[in-house]
Amino acid sequence: MANPLRLYLTCIRNTLEAAMCLQNFPCQEVERHNKPEVELKTSPELLLNPVTICRNEAEKCLIETSINSLRISLKVKQADELENILTKKFLRFLSMRAEAFQVLRRKPVQGYDISFLITNYHCEEMQKQKLIDFIVQFMEDIDKEISELKLSVNTRGRLVATEFLKQFV
Amino acid sequence: MAAVSVHQFAQCITCHAWSPDHSMIAFCPNNNEVHIYKLLDGKWEKIHVLQKHDQIVSGVDWGTESNRIVTVSHDRNSYVWSQEATEWVPTLVILRLNRAALCVQWSPKENKFAVGSGAKTVCVCYYEQENNWWVSKVIRKRHDSSVTSVAWHPDNILLATTSTDGKCRVFSTFIKGVDVKKAASASSDSKFGEQIMQLDLSYSWAFGMKWSPSGHVLAYVGHNSMIYFVDDVGPSPSAQNVAFRDLPLRDVLFISERMVIGVGFDCNPMVFTADRRGLWSFLRFLDEKKTSSSAKSGSQLTEKIGKFYGQSKYGSNDTNETSRTQGGAHENCITNIVPLKKPGDTTVTRFSTSGLDGKVVIWELQSQHDLLGYL
Repeated sequence: MANPLRLYLTCIRNTLEAAMCLQNFPCQEVERHNKPEVELKTSPELLLNPVTICRNEAEKCLIETSINSLRISLKVKQADELENILTKKFLRFLSMRAEAFQVLRRKPVQGYDISFLITNYHCEEMQKQKLIDFIVQFMEDIDKEISELKLSVNTRGRLVATEFLKQFV
Repeated sequence: MAAVSVHQFAQCITCHAWSPDHSMIAFCPNNNEVHIYKLLDGKWEKIHVLQKHDQIVSGVDWGTESNRIVTVSHDRNSYVWSQEATEWVPTLVILRLNRAALCVQWSPKENKFAVGSGAKTVCVCYYEQENNWWVSKVIRKRHDSSVTSVAWHPDNILLATTSTDGKCRVFSTFIKGVDVKKAASASSDSKFGEQIMQLDLSYSWAFGMKWSPSGHVLAYVGHNSMIYFVDDVGPSPSAQNVAFRDLPLRDVLFISERMVIGVGFDCNPMVFTADRRGLWSFLRFLDEKKTSSSAKSGSQLTEKIGKFYGQSKYGSNDTNETSRTQGGAHENCITNIVPLKKPGDTTVTRFSTSGLDGKVVIWELQSQHDLLGYL
């Protein structure tokens, strides 16, 4: 059970190590500007091929790189309706506080649950290995967190229902 | 250890250059200034700050014969600084660029310098005595994308450029009045901006190009983790591609005719050598690194978020993470490699590297016995 996850994460880690080779690059379209080229997509020669790593149909990771920025989009496993709601709410909570995380994107890319935007400035301020560790750790913890939330929702629901129905016994 | 001295100058260094006697270093600490430090009594002291640019200074070059510094910046400007008494005085350069300037290099005779820009052009500047400024002649419509690196051939006329369209081009930059036409040379390509050669070897961006000391071999790197060596630049060049399994390089330096050092995202200089038949291959890394792995243990995401607010992730020594510890001299990508050559030497035995970790490391090759044969 843990093994496929380990392989998936190792694959993502290796791809990120190769993809996170970013450098400062001023905008070719607008003078005196410096924009993340992966978001702009105006100069196709500055973009690299996007890579999608799929664990199964429900879980995948899209990594798009350009010369000065990198965008990682994750789709988290959602087995049932409850997990769907929990994931959406939880990830929305995190995305709204994107400033605190610095590398998080405020809105996920279309078709995914959460997105990270890493620019050359992040690589200059922080160490590349630590950034990759953070992303991989995040992916591991997301699954644990969602299942814990689901468990606590179910437990709470059972407790509340028991208490409520006691009055009818 | 090949690294002789390591010094942390700033949080991040964009580019650096040495004074002719190697006592002073000029570098850009990732902002719009150029800092000049001098080694006094074994300590580095900041003696000058050159402040004229509005945006980050992307290229610095210090002429060894003329003692002039040329700086180019993302704000489309360039200045030539000359030392008068104790101050550095800037001279205006008319670049006529409408996008950022990315790289600069003095020509071997230091009467011209070339600037590569994001406007897909290369400007070759020369000094006009009458108006006391530097004017430029622009090579337009030859590049499909930003020009990332320029390199002068030892003859002061040929200029090689690399670009983010993956191609390497060689131009003639003969300027009437500045260059002396060699009567013996049979080259009829003496028109300014004439493209001598175009190489389409890399399918990814090309950076970091240099000519060998004799001018016979041209080396440049591609972002696809390959380094290209081109022989016999002219109508029929022959090229060698050397692929290596590590992260891409950013810059190269010719130590001698048979040895090249490449630096890049691996934070460790790589040595490439040519054997007697002229075939290039990767030899080894220059720095010895110790690697250690720590056990991974799961931690709660909420704990992580809590940690975030309290602790920064700038190199936190968290034992919960698996990270490959770098034991080498540089901790982040190396962006620049500059030779420390005494005048009169044909081979380089000392060079310096600077990177995004803000360190400048000086390397000495005399202590590496297996490399002495290639010098």
